[in-house]
Amino acid sequence: MQMLKAENIIKSFGSHRVLNSVSLEINKGEVIAVIGPSGSGKSTLLRCFNGLEEIDSGMILIENETFSCKEPGMKDTVKHGAKRAMQKKIGMVFQNFNLFPHRTVLENIIEAPVTVNKMNKKEAVQMAELLLEKVGLADKKNSYPSKISGGQKQRVAIARALGMNPDIMLFDEPTSALDPELTGEVLKTMTDLAREKMTMFVVTHEMRFAAEIADRIIFMDDGIILADDKPDKILTSPDHFRIKSFIEKVGQ
Amino acid sequence: MIMDNLAQYIIDSALFILKGGILTVELYFVTILFSIPLGICFALMKISRYKLLREITGFYTWVFRGTPLLLQLFFTYYGLAVVGITLQPFSAAAITFVVNYTAYLTEIYRAGIESIDRGQHEAAHALNMNYFQTMRRIILPQAVRRTIPPTCNEAINLVKDTALVSVIGMSDLLISAKEIFARDFVIIPFIIAAVIYLVITTVIVYFFRKIEARYSIY
Repeated sequence: MQMLKAENIIKSFGSHRVLNSVSLEINKGEVIAVIGPSGSGKSTLLRCFNGLEEIDSGMILIENETFSCKEPGMKDTVKHGAKRAMQKKIGMVFQNFNLFPHRTVLENIIEAPVTVNKMNKKEAVQMAELLLEKVGLADKKNSYPSKISGGQKQRVAIARALGMNPDIMLFDEPTSALDPELTGEVLKTMTDLAREKMTMFVVTHEMRFAAEIADRIIFMDDGIILADDKPDKILTSPDHFRIKSFIEKVGQ
Repeated sequence: MIMDNLAQYIIDSALFILKGGILTVELYFVTILFSIPLGICFALMKISRYKLLREITGFYTWVFRGTPLLLQLFFTYYGLAVVGITLQPFSAAAITFVVNYTAYLTEIYRAGIESIDRGQHEAAHALNMNYFQTMRRIILPQAVRRTIPPTCNEAINLVKDTALVSVIGMSDLLISAKEIFARDFVIIPFIIAAVIYLVITTVIVYFFRKIEARYSIY
């Protein structure tokens, strides 16, 4: 089943075209790793998928429903309210965690379920405790974000996104802000999630994660998708010299 | 005459001055009660995506921060009377103080809100929170914490600014002290007034410290 589909996405910042007619499909349960040099448009593409960036033109479908549809210079045909409703299906994890510093770990997780979904607070707490157990942080539930490590923050951020029960999770360089010794715990949490058949779209520089966990790797360069294929194909015998040189550079 | 019973004299003077102080305190609380929530609302308008709201609030803070409070007080009490709007001295003073202090607080809260990392807005968006939920639950609590010290400054300034109401004929704390001075020609009433002002500002500083401590749990 198709989870997300993007067609001819174009996005510019000023005169700089960041996404140059990008099309792709994500199937349910698929884990996609997006790699490529910095400035290639990976993060921008991901941010378009939950409305953090507005596309200039193109179309995005989420579970076969139009999430965004725009002709150049025209208004989006999808209304704001409809977008918001669909956006509930999309969870997101940021490079810099973006936990709410004035809320404890537990409060971070129950915030949106309670205020947005009007979930009963007791239920929300139970759910949050389960999620924290899942990411191995049950003992940190009453800590404030400033009191836990970067790796722990990111795991809380993953739990927080899962609290909204999303159908697809977007990860925007989830380990890039972490000390190397802390990336492992986050990648493990993501691996667990992939095993549970969560649909995942992961912008990353972690080649091992891409190689071992991803079902597909998308290589982006200069606003376009240069390759979209199985990991071993892309990592071992890439068609394109730019991919080859990139992979050599990051030293798999 | 005075030396016969200095203690009694001080107590009598203090009580008289404190009576004037009631007005000061009333004006103080009315101003605080209205300016803080209004300041937050106007701050949100000042950074709104609607240009008209931004321009209106921009004009407002430009005028009221750019002219003397004393002039604004004259304007509300004497000026408006000329065009047929007559206000009681207390109403005139309260309106002027609220409008003036809201202008300063608007800028303080605007800066506070803008100092919150963009990532906080994005995280709230990704969690499907709408504008009001984001502001009320995520942005404002953090912004308010950061603006406690400048708000405390304004709260202290306000105590002293209330002394300006004498110019529209109100008998506040300072004027009461001056009345005793005019009658007896001794320095004591001014010292008493200074002590009362100090007590009030000390209480305010203590109060803001408490709030700051409560907010600094994270």
